[in-house]
Amino acid sequence: MDIGILTSALLTLFIFSFLYKDNPFYKFAEHLLVGISVGYFLVIAINTTVLPTLFLPLFKEGNLLYIIPGILGFFMFLRFFPKISWVSRISLALIIGAGAGVSIPAVIEAQIMAQMKASMLKFTSFDGIVVMTALCTTLIYFFFSKKHTGWFGAPAKVGTWFLMVFFGATFGYTVMSRISLLIGRLQFLLGDFLHIID
Amino acid sequence: MKIDRRIIFVLIAISVAIPLIFKIGLPNKVTKEVKMVYDSIEELEQGEVVLVSFDHEASSLPEIKPMAQAILRHCFSKNLKVVSFALLAEGTAIGDEILRNVANEYDRKYGRDYVFLGFRPQYTAAILGLGEDLHRVFPEDYKGISTSKLNLTKEIKNYEDISLVVSLADGDLPTYWINYAEARYNQRVAIAVTAVMATTYYPYLSSKQITGLVGGLKGAAEYEILINKPGMGSKGMDAQSVAHVVILLLVVLGNVSYFLSGKLRK
Repeated sequence: MDIGILTSALLTLFIFSFLYKDNPFYKFAEHLLVGISVGYFLVIAINTTVLPTLFLPLFKEGNLLYIIPGILGFFMFLRFFPKISWVSRISLALIIGAGAGVSIPAVIEAQIMAQMKASMLKFTSFDGIVVMTALCTTLIYFFFSKKHTGWFGAPAKVGTWFLMVFFGATFGYTVMSRISLLIGRLQFLLGDFLHIID
Repeated sequence: MKIDRRIIFVLIAISVAIPLIFKIGLPNKVTKEVKMVYDSIEELEQGEVVLVSFDHEASSLPEIKPMAQAILRHCFSKNLKVVSFALLAEGTAIGDEILRNVANEYDRKYGRDYVFLGFRPQYTAAILGLGEDLHRVFPEDYKGISTSKLNLTKEIKNYEDISLVVSLADGDLPTYWINYAEARYNQRVAIAVTAVMATTYYPYLSSKQITGLVGGLKGAAEYEILINKPGMGSKGMDAQSVAHVVILLLVVLGNVSYFLSGKLRK
């Protein structure tokens, strides 16, 4: 039997053993997963990012401009030294500033304007009326500056119903997702490992 | 009434295992949102470029793999060019393997018909960078070959040369594709996400910010029906349906027992 399949099957069974109760086999598999994930990420990050986008242009092609991002990246590692950890704030400030500058207009456009536009346009259809009712009543539910009683309480209550429908649909999809993961593992155990199924 | 949770685990395991061994063949209907993804690929002309992004971790492989295989099979069967990469590190080796295996099924040649570019962190920067210059974001492919030398990628400058982006994701990365590729560059984006993420993306479907949505194993099974090539998705659907029935029965049983015990206490 292929050593990879055997290892994979054993580790799957180790993880499943937690369903009975916590045990050393489960702990071993869990720690192995964490360790390998971190190691894998480091290797991939170095090979596909640090080398081709910093070291190669800087040392092989001699592009000295890359010294600037190199130094800023190096500053991030100074967080490990409490006395000079403040230096890393320079890099962080740049990341946060640039990140906010890039994301704010994009989020306003894609998440607020486009969504509002889509809700308005459908106002004439039945679906549109349902969407608009759900939108308004849910927003009212999340308006906490006025007590949810009287004329203001009724739409807030309707808002909670819409929220419940959303939670139900999300939970249904979550169950489906988790069962799919189990199916994947059992397909592997019954197929590749035990050869009971194709 | 109290049931040991381990009995429930065994019940679920049996309800999944038996339909996998003895096939039932329960019907599965194609939904509109999956058909929309299929149509958005179907309407592309031979030779157009589809960008497939593996935006997931290894743990969601059972859901992502069938979706990825079905979509890639569709692309290669239509002679489309596929450029692929990963925006999450764990998707890198998985994406490379799935792409290579499906390409081999259709005798597609690396560098000419498909390319895998590897992993790029800072997805916001990567997605935005692709709108300017692919070669700056990915100077080399996963194998270390310059993207300016590969036949397929040397012709691609930015989103203008890419007909469709497909994000295979298990988290919120499709939101970044919508925010930065769709909203800023008018790039057509289709998404294939794990079922747990599907409800998050329905609003983008109705606002037409995405061209379609494939959700989880069921979505994969539907896509397999559309391309007439049964795969892992179709094989798992019987088990999925039986497990859902068992869960429903357990929910009913739990509620009945709760109400009965409440009445008895009164």
